[in-house]
Amino acid sequence: MVEIVFISTLNGVLYGMLLFLMASGLTVIFSMMGVLNFAHASFYMLGAFFGFAISRHVGFWPGLVIAPLLVGGIGMAVERYGLRRVHRHGHVAELLFTFGLTFVIQQLVEMAWGKLPVDYRVPPSLDFPAFTVFSTNYPTFKIFELLISVAIFAALLLAVKRTRIGLIVQAALSHPDMVGMLGHNVDGVFMLVFGVGAGLAAIAGVIAGPALVTQSNMAELLGPILFVVVVVGGLGSLSGAFAASLLIGLVQTFAVASNASLASAFGSLVSQRAQAYLGDIWNVTVAQIAPILPYLLLVLILIFRPRGLIGARDS
Amino acid sequence: MSAAGALELASGRRGRPLATYGAWLAAAVALGLLPRLFSSGFALTTMSLMGVMIVFTLSYNMLLGQTGLLSFGHAVFFGLGGFFTVHMMNVVEGDGAPLPLFLFPLVGAAAGLVFGVIFGAVSTRRAGTAFAMITLGIAELVSSSALILRRFFGGEAGVTTDRTGLVHLFGVTFGPQIQVYYLIASWCFVSAAAMYALTRTPFGRICNAVRDNPERARFIGYNTQTVRFIAFSLAGLFAGVAGGLAAINFEIMNSAQLGAAQSGAVILMAYIGGVGGFVGPIIGAILVTYLQATLSDLTDVWQLYFGLLFIGMVMFAPEGVAGLLARQQPLLQARQLHRVVPFYLLALLPGLAAAAGLSMMIEMTNQLTGHAPDGPAMVFLYAPFNANAVLPWLIAVVLFLAGTWLFLRAARLASAAYDEALATARMRKSAL
Amino acid sequence: MTSPSPALELAGLRKSFGKTEIIRGVDLTVRSGERHAVIGPNGAGKSTLFHLISGRYRPSAGAIRLHGEDIAGMAPQLINRRGLSRSFQVTNIFPRLTVWENVRCATLWALGYKYSFWRNVERLADARRRTEEILAEINLLDRRRTPAGVLTYAEQRALEIGLTIAGDADILLFDEPTAGMSRIETERVVSLIRKVSEKRTLLMIEHDMGVVFDLADRISVLVYGEIIASDAPECIKANAAVQQAYLGAA
Repeated sequence: MVEIVFISTLNGVLYGMLLFLMASGLTVIFSMMGVLNFAHASFYMLGAFFGFAISRHVGFWPGLVIAPLLVGGIGMAVERYGLRRVHRHGHVAELLFTFGLTFVIQQLVEMAWGKLPVDYRVPPSLDFPAFTVFSTNYPTFKIFELLISVAIFAALLLAVKRTRIGLIVQAALSHPDMVGMLGHNVDGVFMLVFGVGAGLAAIAGVIAGPALVTQSNMAELLGPILFVVVVVGGLGSLSGAFAASLLIGLVQTFAVASNASLASAFGSLVSQRAQAYLGDIWNVTVAQIAPILPYLLLVLILIFRPRGLIGARDS
Repeated sequence: MSAAGALELASGRRGRPLATYGAWLAAAVALGLLPRLFSSGFALTTMSLMGVMIVFTLSYNMLLGQTGLLSFGHAVFFGLGGFFTVHMMNVVEGDGAPLPLFLFPLVGAAAGLVFGVIFGAVSTRRAGTAFAMITLGIAELVSSSALILRRFFGGEAGVTTDRTGLVHLFGVTFGPQIQVYYLIASWCFVSAAAMYALTRTPFGRICNAVRDNPERARFIGYNTQTVRFIAFSLAGLFAGVAGGLAAINFEIMNSAQLGAAQSGAVILMAYIGGVGGFVGPIIGAILVTYLQATLSDLTDVWQLYFGLLFIGMVMFAPEGVAGLLARQQPLLQARQLHRVVPFYLLALLPGLAAAAGLSMMIEMTNQLTGHAPDGPAMVFLYAPFNANAVLPWLIAVVLFLAGTWLFLRAARLASAAYDEALATARMRKSAL
Repeated sequence: MTSPSPALELAGLRKSFGKTEIIRGVDLTVRSGERHAVIGPNGAGKSTLFHLISGRYRPSAGAIRLHGEDIAGMAPQLINRRGLSRSFQVTNIFPRLTVWENVRCATLWALGYKYSFWRNVERLADARRRTEEILAEINLLDRRRTPAGVLTYAEQRALEIGLTIAGDADILLFDEPTAGMSRIETERVVSLIRKVSEKRTLLMIEHDMGVVFDLADRISVLVYGEIIASDAPECIKANAAVQQAYLGAA
């Protein structure tokens, strides 16, 4: 029992970190440019697939560096030639543009790599147990994922707080027009932010790909959860996104590990006939409903705290 | 000249009731006569599907076009409407109650309304981008639940029914597709008329106001959340009707029909046709359904083409097909159309060439990757060649680049011609 | 003309944005039926005051009483339904709707149609009549079919006023109604405002002193979030503090 809790906590935090790796880029792009990038999960998927392709020909480690750069470049191109043009048609058009982009990217990935999962493997240098907890071996690769995530956050925090460009980014976060009038190249900053966001999502893909499944439906599986994270956290709030990422990461991980169901909890209290009537709902285990828990959380938050965990009031 | 300027000229024709009634009458007659013109099995099936999609897309337009609500989960109401309809059909067939088939879309309507109210109460608490994400979340909630609640949703296989198993009035069994077509066509007509009538009510007008400027709408006395909630619920009702019609048409409902793909499809149809007005969604539904039916036979990456078309529309023609046509209307009125049509044709040719080049590249890539085990031999536009040979790639790239360049040049000329023609039309109009 | 209870009363009203206090304890009384102008230097907080009264912002402290009822922090539509209507300094209309539809939408709630989705809006005779009246007042009848987004600036300002008066509110708030207008347009707007505010209460923010002294029964001067004087126009003119802070020492 304690073993499950410990492992689940570790896994849950890890999952939460991965979610935040993506949600942070998404939140910054939203705060700055007002557009919620639907295609963010697609960049994650591209990162995984590019990482896979590179790891097959060159190796995992070059993939870790090259794939995010490639995807970051694609992100910048998308902003420069696509989003910027659509910007004048309003937010709905921007959202729909990124929505269409998601679709196109998925079709391209499916065309190139097919619909089945690809064999993106953990590199041999990391393929051994880090430590043994009770009776389970905890893989080193997962520790590696955790370390990379933390390292990236530290680097980002440093970059934003200490460098000049970081200062401009902070300013543009709340007052893009003003920053433009001060002579800074706001368009360039936007392009950079979008590219970095895409790159972050790609890194998440590269490190998650070997551990999870790398398949052409990755984006459509993770995308909605990502958006739930940002809405639950409070649209536009980084700390909210962090809290929500951890919350959802832990909740889902613990749910998957649980075999509880209404039947197991209350089975002895309710008659057989009633149980048969309730059928599916009665017998479904928490593990089976794990995929929908984030959405249930979303609905709950909306009922009780519509602006999100740490969100600003809708003006 | 801006789209708004063209709209200003076009708007002079508002408020002519006879023209409106005439249009509806003509539509009814057309619906009745269509099977005479297109009587093949494929045509009847496609037209039936178009009827369903018209209702679905018009219901989506109530959200996006009329009230400014971008929903990514509208298929939930379509799917739930359909599921409740098939179950009700099965129950009634089992009981033998004399309820005729053509009443059953009402079940879809009821289901759509009830769930519209339930989900709407939660969704409409936020607006804008947050609302869009919430509809996405709820759609995922429902479609994931569908795989868990296997009894109701039938798991991967779905739930089937037999539309001929209900009571037969006047010997109509609804076995043959043409009878189903007329059922769908009548419901489509009635639903479209109802949705049109809604736009002519105080509520419909306030929806437009909330779309244009929600803040100001509050300052003239309206609770924007209530407006959105009602619009959401009513849109759910009509989506449920469409779902019921789909259930009757296909005699099967599958959990995929309330999923993200179906929600995406209706956004595609509405946007390509043109959101906002009434004709746009109808055009979009017809066009996309037709393209889907024909393209899916020609290539297995037809979805990619749709995605590219969608992105293209969002970037270059956000008003949709209906919007593009509406822009020509002032020219038509002032008899200036002949000044622009030659330029449109001039742009069309290189445009087609560029599209052909792009398509060729896509198909060749597909042959080399998706169809790798089949080898590189393929046929494109009746010409056979090898996808890994240099020449076809060269041709494709040249077609695409040259076609795009020429198209852009021609488009610039066409745009200038349009501006001139529009200016003339304006002068003519103000001289009256 | 003045009735015992004031139409609008602000008591100890405060508003802060973060650490910055914009409105610092405002006490203001607007009597029923009077025309009351609020003047003050830029940045004094005049528009913020309107936002607080009309429900766009929630006060940090203090009370706002509309005919005796406390409306502080109420949602804008609830305040509007209680008979208070406002215009905006930056034109805030419905750009894709025609001029006719803009005004008609503003008449609907007051006429009782609320969220009715079962009546044909074209058949509502009272809505039609009222819309025609208003369009005639603001002189936009011949532009009725034009989408509001393509109107000229002055026409949009007129429409803005039209939207404000359409709901038959008895307390009208106008935020710089003549901003950016020529002499002739200003005169037209002034006579329009004078006409529609007969038998109603008017609260107006204005920079044009000619308009202020022409229209106002009483003037309040807002400086740095506080009312430094609230009196009849002649007294305001003579007030030394006002002269110093705003009109410039004579």
